[in-house]
Amino acid sequence: MSSEITTGAGHTQPDVERLHVAGLHAPSDAVLSVRDLNVRFNTENGVVHAVRGVDFDLLPGKTLGIVGESGSGKSVTSLAIMGLLPSTAEVSGSVMLKGRELLGLSDRAMCEYRGNELAMVFQDPLSSLTPVYTVGAQILEALTIHNPTMSRQAKEARAVELLAMVGIPSPKERLKAFPHEFSGGMRQRVMIAIAIANNPRVLIADEPTTALDVTIQAQVLEVLHTAQEETGAAVVMITHDLGVVAGMADDIMVMYAGKPVETGAVDDIYYNPRMPYTMGLLGAVPRVDVAEKSSLVPIEGMPPNLIHAPTGCSFAPRCPLASDACLAGEPALAPVPGSALHRAACIKSGSLGGDVDVHDVFAAPPVPVSRFDAVPREKRSTVLQLKDVRKHFPLTRGALLKRRIGTVKAVDGLSFDIREGECFSIVGESGSGKTTTLLEIMEFHKDQDGEVLIGGISNKQANDSRTKSAMRRELQMVFQDPTGALDPRFTVYEVLAEPLQNAGMDRQAIKARIMELMKLVGLQPDHVNRFPNQFSGGQRQRIGIARALAVNPKLVVLDEPVSALDVSVQAGVINLLDKLRAELGLSYLLVAHDLSVVRHISNRVAVMYLGKIVEIGEVDRVFDNPRHPYTRALLSAIPVPDPELERTRERIILQGDLPSPLDAPKGCNFATRCPVFAALPPLKQEKCLTLEPPLEPVAPSAAAQALAAHPLPAPDQRFACFFPDGEIDEDMLVVHEQADHHAP
Amino acid sequence: MLRYLAKRGITYIFMIFLTTSAGYFLAVSSLKPALLEQERIPRPTPEQVANSMRLKGLDPDLSPWERYVEWLTAIVTRWDWGRSPNGAYINAEFGDRVWISTRLFLASIILTLVIGVALGVYSAARQYKFQDRAITSYSYLAYIVPAPIAYFLVQLGAISINETVGERIFFVTGISTPGIQPGWAQFVDMLAHYAVPTVAITLVGWGSYQIAQRQYLLDNVNADFVRTARAKGLTRNQAISRHALRVSFIPVAQSIAFTIPAIFAGGFFAEKIFAWPGVGSWSIDAISLQDVNAATATLAYGSVIFALGAILADFATTLVDPRVRVQ
Repeated sequence: MSSEITTGAGHTQPDVERLHVAGLHAPSDAVLSVRDLNVRFNTENGVVHAVRGVDFDLLPGKTLGIVGESGSGKSVTSLAIMGLLPSTAEVSGSVMLKGRELLGLSDRAMCEYRGNELAMVFQDPLSSLTPVYTVGAQILEALTIHNPTMSRQAKEARAVELLAMVGIPSPKERLKAFPHEFSGGMRQRVMIAIAIANNPRVLIADEPTTALDVTIQAQVLEVLHTAQEETGAAVVMITHDLGVVAGMADDIMVMYAGKPVETGAVDDIYYNPRMPYTMGLLGAVPRVDVAEKSSLVPIEGMPPNLIHAPTGCSFAPRCPLASDACLAGEPALAPVPGSALHRAACIKSGSLGGDVDVHDVFAAPPVPVSRFDAVPREKRSTVLQLKDVRKHFPLTRGALLKRRIGTVKAVDGLSFDIREGECFSIVGESGSGKTTTLLEIMEFHKDQDGEVLIGGISNKQANDSRTKSAMRRELQMVFQDPTGALDPRFTVYEVLAEPLQNAGMDRQAIKARIMELMKLVGLQPDHVNRFPNQFSGGQRQRIGIARALAVNPKLVVLDEPVSALDVSVQAGVINLLDKLRAELGLSYLLVAHDLSVVRHISNRVAVMYLGKIVEIGEVDRVFDNPRHPYTRALLSAIPVPDPELERTRERIILQGDLPSPLDAPKGCNFATRCPVFAALPPLKQEKCLTLEPPLEPVAPSAAAQALAAHPLPAPDQRFACFFPDGEIDEDMLVVHEQADHHAP
Repeated sequence: MLRYLAKRGITYIFMIFLTTSAGYFLAVSSLKPALLEQERIPRPTPEQVANSMRLKGLDPDLSPWERYVEWLTAIVTRWDWGRSPNGAYINAEFGDRVWISTRLFLASIILTLVIGVALGVYSAARQYKFQDRAITSYSYLAYIVPAPIAYFLVQLGAISINETVGERIFFVTGISTPGIQPGWAQFVDMLAHYAVPTVAITLVGWGSYQIAQRQYLLDNVNADFVRTARAKGLTRNQAISRHALRVSFIPVAQSIAFTIPAIFAGGFFAEKIFAWPGVGSWSIDAISLQDVNAATATLAYGSVIFALGAILADFATTLVDPRVRVQ
């Protein structure tokens, strides 16, 4: 591992230099110093070198963002620092916490630091708390371990204080609650409370918001921010989402194949990336705040297998700029010309920079144009129409004699239509009824409440299986989890042949069609005899898309098609969907929680809340000029990969979780969490609570009306709110001032 | 909780009634004690047999339905479960036998549980090490060796100890020596009778608990919440014993509650081999002796015990798992 030694040795110099330049700290000021950290796992296939020479210094009160895709070694790095790796892992290098070496300490010796000066928040809040103990007991335990002499009253008082700090209402009563009585967001707050219980100096957060809804993500990020302010801890924030760290981090470390490939201040990384991988990652993420349509940057290929030591740059096989020089030895992390703080592991970093367009480097495909784009929407035919579709679930009690104690209105009076060649998206938090809507469409039964028209066939006529199978040829589905959606014992050929056989095609035609499909979705036709497990996640999703397209449907229902994929792979699948829509004239019904993806790919969007559409319209209109307070909150909750913007952006933080559909108020569903409602005078509040706002079009402003010669057509945007122009309650509005973040 | 238990109790009483009634009809239509009487020497006349049966309430001339009504009325009004063909009263016989079974199994059940769960935890903490492999292999062996063979082996072991010492230390069969002096001598005699069956049943029984507990604990050792506990500052072993153990005990607690009654009601191999005339051997004997009332009574007892086990399992689950709510 000669490359590592050079990395390790050549490292001290720029580091001292860097701190010297900063003029603020001597190296000993760092609370956490990691040097040449290496982690190897012995597996059946050989030694996996998961982390290969990570160095960083973390200064008190600062935040370091570690960014990378799955398998890049970021989580292993954090677990190695915590000493929580399984005993089979070989860890070498140095981890110094306030000048004391942590590596090599026994489990017992590490316990003095863990949970005390060094704390961690994990990814999945649902499984990270012990289900059989109360939340209070689990917080108290963290206090007891490190303060054995503390009295019970003092510990309980501290626990209440902690729960209040992380924003849990009525903390004293909630101490006695069990984890299952909390929602995911609330549990993550408890996890943060446990982590900061002993005022840690270093707080490691490993993907703390990945499992949460955007509105809850915004809340939890806010709590982390508060926690950092209260404790003055340095934070290591591990994430794959470049948006999440943009507003929080001071420094960024980008990891690839177990190695840091670019490090520097947050602005350097986002505005002036010098490593093609970083550039690719930034270009691969769609942005929720940009209307301009350009293709995303896909990074082809897969990360290397870390069983074999790379001989050249580990990114070279996927890098469009790779040359022979890149294959000779792994490049060390070296300062970028002109900036000592910014380092990149690329021999070409000098020629890259902020002015190089990533779309040129990665040869992003041109924006596909559909033949329908030129036709006005009203003149295209309708492929799917929903008229007042409802799905109510009775809530019953009792074992033998069931009593109805309420109704869950999962979908409550949904009407919309999808025209040819258009992508229509439904967005909303989990529990808003998105999936139930899809299920209702797929159900297609005449006893349904409401009418579903697919390609002119109504569910009210769906009496026989013939009508149903005619409907299935019009509409196909792509599922969220590409691995679970494919039978592991079917070859790709069998997966694709099944719908064609059902359609009654003969063998020759099926074979030809499958070859055509493979090419269409960008897979090699000679891979048809492979099994799904021989493909990567992105390729499996392509197989899922090919299967859906096999029978030439007009409408494809996409249920979270890219949420299980890494960003670089996600970009490729999104580009493919875009291309197919244009080339084949498909329509999409997309359900996604990632609003950036929705904005990138859709033409129209509907925002759902508790089973109802609260705002619907053309995607750019809704996203640029949201009228409903919920849409506004949802949009403001999404982090944008732009540090400057993130720091100054106003953010609406909704309070609490999605209420149980049982407690839905009589008037506007959203009133309980509405930031506008909270600031309204009581008289107007009364209106929100008693009357249900109808879905009404946006009236063109009087001034615009006067200027125009003809009466303007109403824009394609409707919303359900009485007071769209109301002030937003100040308690729910958060702005992170720049000064706030860069204070020493 | 009480309301819930009462509700479940009523459901089970109804189900016990159904199984017992069905069992009675099956017994009364297939078991013919009168035929056995015919084999006596000197052979009685059919009239004599019918007469003696009628006196014991086992009139073979009545239809099954008439006998059922008679039998049920006796139970409901007088709590009288009838008589055996040999004239014995079921009620009296039953009390003795339940007491014998309970004495035979109680100690071994407790030992089985404690040893099984403890070894499960011990072997899970040492997964794939020598101790784990040895203990778990033994458990699988105990699983597959038929219980009677294991009991015989233990008896042989006890006998060879007796022979080596040259004195009779252990009794391999029987409950007690008749006519022994009360006091210390009786106590020693009881221990000498208890030792062999208790050891034998325990040795065979703990394997299943060990395997289950080991498996459930291993499922939880690498759980996220154990990692959280370690991140708080607990050592790995502390985190496992405080957090993983209780969670892994939930399914074990449920299975325990279900197996206890099964042992009480169905340990007839042990009862036969060690010559402790309990409920288990009685149920088998009842069938071979064409004893309608005894067979039905053991069946009823089995259902009651099973219902108790089910309620106990529910109770145990609510006790260890706060996520389970009682409505």
